[in-house]
Amino acid sequence: MKMQVAVPPRVLRFRPSPIAAVLITLMGIGFVVAMVRFASGIGTISNLSNTYPWGFWISFDIYTGIAISSGAFLLAAAVYIFDLKEFRPLLMPSILTALIGYFMEVLALMVDLGRPERIFNMLFFQNFTSWMLVLGLCVMIYLAILVVEFAPVALKGLKREKLAQFARRFIKPAVILGVVVSTIHQGSLGSLLLIQSAKLHPLWWTPLLPVMFFVSSISIGLAMIIFESSMSSRYFRRGLEMHLLEKLAKAIPVALGIYAVLKFAQLILSGNFWHLFDSGLHSVLFWAEIIVGVVIPLIIFASPRNRQNPRMLLVGAIILLLGMILNRFNVSWFGIQRLQDVSYVPSLTEVSISAAIFSFGILAFGLVARYLPLFEDAEAAAANS
Amino acid sequence: MATIKQHAYLFDATRCIDCRACMIACSVENNVPMNDTYIWVTGRGVMGEYPDLQRATMPYHCMHCLAPDCVSGCPVGAWSKREDGPVLYDEDKCIGCRYCMNTCPFSVPHFDWDKGLFDGALMHKCTMCPQRLEVGQEPACVQTCPTGALKFGEREELIAEAHALIKAHPDRYIDHVYGELENGGTSYLILSHVPFSELGLPDVGIIPVKNVSEAAMRVTVPFAVGWGAVLTGVTVGVGLNKKRQEEASKKKAEEGATVAGGEK
Repeated sequence: MKMQVAVPPRVLRFRPSPIAAVLITLMGIGFVVAMVRFASGIGTISNLSNTYPWGFWISFDIYTGIAISSGAFLLAAAVYIFDLKEFRPLLMPSILTALIGYFMEVLALMVDLGRPERIFNMLFFQNFTSWMLVLGLCVMIYLAILVVEFAPVALKGLKREKLAQFARRFIKPAVILGVVVSTIHQGSLGSLLLIQSAKLHPLWWTPLLPVMFFVSSISIGLAMIIFESSMSSRYFRRGLEMHLLEKLAKAIPVALGIYAVLKFAQLILSGNFWHLFDSGLHSVLFWAEIIVGVVIPLIIFASPRNRQNPRMLLVGAIILLLGMILNRFNVSWFGIQRLQDVSYVPSLTEVSISAAIFSFGILAFGLVARYLPLFEDAEAAAANS
Repeated sequence: MATIKQHAYLFDATRCIDCRACMIACSVENNVPMNDTYIWVTGRGVMGEYPDLQRATMPYHCMHCLAPDCVSGCPVGAWSKREDGPVLYDEDKCIGCRYCMNTCPFSVPHFDWDKGLFDGALMHKCTMCPQRLEVGQEPACVQTCPTGALKFGEREELIAEAHALIKAHPDRYIDHVYGELENGGTSYLILSHVPFSELGLPDVGIIPVKNVSEAAMRVTVPFAVGWGAVLTGVTVGVGLNKKRQEEASKKKAEEGATVAGGEK
């Protein structure tokens, strides 16, 4: 069915607040720092070393960034594979988050890779035993899929109605491929660590790492959708789809429960259970990620009263995200044992790169949400009901 | 010199005097800048309690694993294992992701932290001097070593020699040849009078660390195909189900309409 949508005067108002000024300043600083890095090397702007070849950038930009982009494939699967059309209002904002998120990862890689100009070597010289290759290809393929998934909205916004209709035809196959690629991609961040069995602390290293990563990405994705909807309802002054968020929140205890059972069963069966108590800081970090990322959110989201309360939903989602982000930092940084007794604290310039990329992401989301009919489904749904 | 099937080093820690001539020889042979090095030597300090004092020094080369994890992990295949021993690097393929530094259980490869886009940052490590092997010479470090702490030759023969030394001097050596089995075997063998952990060597086990990673990789493509098929099936199934339901409800409505009014 064809519908001529007269472009309405934007109901959404993005406040070009001091926040935007801060974000732009951060981007400027990051840009200058990146130029220094391109001119004179990663060592000049970061505290990375031969003992810490990967650090803050990988843990934050890549491990955290990919994990919190997982809402898109969950919602795409719900809407297009399981035909749960009611979730449509949440879909496009999530796809946009992932699209921008993956683009941010590419930006981060451009700084973090030693030879960014050779990134496409991954297409010409491929080593199929390498999880790093899988990871790189997943980023490229999924970025393309997200473009296809987002194309209808973008084209509609650009008033290319016919092209938008045409683009809609590719959505279902793209979504199926997208879910497969996302599953592998979320898992591959764990698989990347499989080869580091001699380095990653046994509290975290297990052959099940890819499964753990995928399962945890589900609760992270759900929490991220709640977080993002709550935020955009504040900043764009739109209603909150409470009835939908409530349903998503109901799934969180299930996802977390499966994750917790997997994690502890693995520790017991592998005989590494005692490390929960005898590994000093590592034990503390492990308990911290479990209590913050699993136990507290489980308690919060298990109660129907909390799930109906927008404030508790947001609080629960933030706590879950913090705990799970700690998990990603643990496996990719804190939990890796080094041969040399060298310490590593990321430098300010190093953090400024991530801050700049993050600022870009927020700004890009704000701008796109302002000019494209991102929430139109939501408004239509609200009008219908 | 007879053709060697599998080159290897044998380092005898009891003979090393921390002179670091090997480092200099390596840098000269391989044109390594003064602020960098392919191999590095670390004095591990004085150990034990007076009067039973010991000191040990360890030169860190590449271990030239028989089943190298860097080769398995590199996304672009910049690392390769040559049949006769050396693990080699193709600097034209490298994208600088530094994953090899993570995959290597011995943390051997190191990176040009001070080079930007124009200088071209690369990975570096001991090469086993393939340019010297080709003309029948030993690596520069081995040739220079004044005390015979570093030896070079056929891996099997060096292992036999190491065990013979341990047998002849049980009081002098720990009864273990590090690298004979570690990580699936390495082409850098180590004899020591102090525990190997004191030499800064990791406890890596005898199964190459890449095995689990590669096993996971082998199930990935079948998994992806299966998962894709399941999802396609679900999509089609849900769609058909919905259509059927719609038709059923439509029929019901029509029937209802005929019964009620018979307008159609």
